[in-house]
Amino acid sequence: MTAVADFLTLNGVSKIYRSGRSEVHAVESADFTIPSGQFLSILGPSGCGKSTLLSMIGGLETPTTGQIRIAGSPVTAPREDMGYVFQDATLLPWFTVLNNVLFPVRLRQGRTSAYRERARELLEMVGLWDFRDKRPDELSGGMRQRVAICRALITDPDILLMDEPFSALDAISRDEMNVALASIWDRFHKTAVFVTHSIREAVFLSDRILVMSRRPSAICHDVTVPFGRPRAAQIERDPVFVQLCSDLRDQIEEGHRA
Amino acid sequence: MGNSASITAARAGVVSPEQRAEGRRAATMAGLRKVLLPAGTAGAALLIWEVTVRVLQIPPVLLPAPSAIWAKLDQLFLPLILKHSIPTITESLIAFVISTVIGIAIAGLLSSSRLLREALYPNVVFFQLIPKIALAPLFIVWLGIGAESRLSFAVFISFFPVVIATLAGLDNVDKSLLRLCRALRASEWQVFRDVRLPFALPYIFSGMKIATTFSIIGVIVGEFITSQAGLGYLILFASAQAETELIFAAITVLCVFGLVFYGAIALAEIYLRRRFGA
Repeated sequence: MTAVADFLTLNGVSKIYRSGRSEVHAVESADFTIPSGQFLSILGPSGCGKSTLLSMIGGLETPTTGQIRIAGSPVTAPREDMGYVFQDATLLPWFTVLNNVLFPVRLRQGRTSAYRERARELLEMVGLWDFRDKRPDELSGGMRQRVAICRALITDPDILLMDEPFSALDAISRDEMNVALASIWDRFHKTAVFVTHSIREAVFLSDRILVMSRRPSAICHDVTVPFGRPRAAQIERDPVFVQLCSDLRDQIEEGHRA
Repeated sequence: MGNSASITAARAGVVSPEQRAEGRRAATMAGLRKVLLPAGTAGAALLIWEVTVRVLQIPPVLLPAPSAIWAKLDQLFLPLILKHSIPTITESLIAFVISTVIGIAIAGLLSSSRLLREALYPNVVFFQLIPKIALAPLFIVWLGIGAESRLSFAVFISFFPVVIATLAGLDNVDKSLLRLCRALRASEWQVFRDVRLPFALPYIFSGMKIATTFSIIGVIVGEFITSQAGLGYLILFASAQAETELIFAAITVLCVFGLVFYGAIALAEIYLRRRFGA
């Protein structure tokens, strides 16, 4: 895939929830552009509207104003070339690990045999091929989320949307998952939008970070992460990494006070 | 990556063979207790019944002893009771199958269309409140005295529980799974087939279990009113002849059938839930 400078563009995108006479401004006027191949994180405190923003990019919610375009065409509904990873793994409890990974294919074309090889490749990559015949309730939280990532990648999407996928995990599994996702990234190199409230996670995974403040629910900083790839877990000890994390913390708190 | 995979394998929980055997023994004991305790209680009740009848010399017309009922059953099963059991059992099974299919279909319809649901659901609940047995004679007026009226009546009283239970299951689906389906652009039918229906399976089975009993009740009531054959007819006939032992013999057959019927559904549920892990 050759890089497209304006693969994903948001133009004055906002979301206002109205109930009766009260209005909640969940997202206010988001404007940004992502080139293809970029790993972008949207970082902010809980309740800042970052998940709503992701839902709109994914076509699960409609913006109140503004427009979102992916590869030139406006987003009005969920797209075929999109993979979505939610906060919970949302695996179907009655399907095996393998069938969960193949679920998008089953919905799209019924027969899944042509994708079995790819499913194997993905599951091997996350160390779960031996668990292919297990049910989700036999897996740990981190394993379930890895299955969900494989499911999002099975149809080889151009853009991967992740909504705080590791926030339900304990700290150790979370670090494990970050390393796993970084290595998946090195192999697949799609465009990604990753929502998180963890500063370290955002810096470790992303090429670029958008910081959102709570009031107003808007993007207040656009930060480029100066690390190349592949990334090892050790970069977390790099002074530049530590400094960047502390800067981001200041920016979030500044957004908090405002 | 290989490292993290082995860590998670350990976390998934490895149980030693000894622990497993120990667990199995404990489970077997608990299982035996669950079977033996109620069976023993029932046996004791039968024994008290037998002794009471003998000691107080209760006339068999009022209350025959269990041993007398067993003797009657043994004597008349092949020449008489079996012949009357067949139509009752067949009609109950047919009524049950129809109720289950109609019940699931109606619940599927109600859960798929908001309009239908708002229009029909309150009425379905209201219908639940009608003492439906009182409507049995109407079915004879409409459909005559053949199997059709008995079957329709049995279906009429047994499909409601299936609808209510199935609807509860279809509606209670994990919302995050529905969101996933939307992100994957699944059609309504695909969501029903892959998400709502498997999720509702335990609910459907609880409705079906109620329907087994209700379909038998429906057929027996029908036979009370119209039939020339069947266990309901036999009970009525025996009561006219003051053959109380025969009444109890017929009731015994009904109980055994009801138990086997219910048990078969319970087994089917265990099998399906294991198969689909729901």
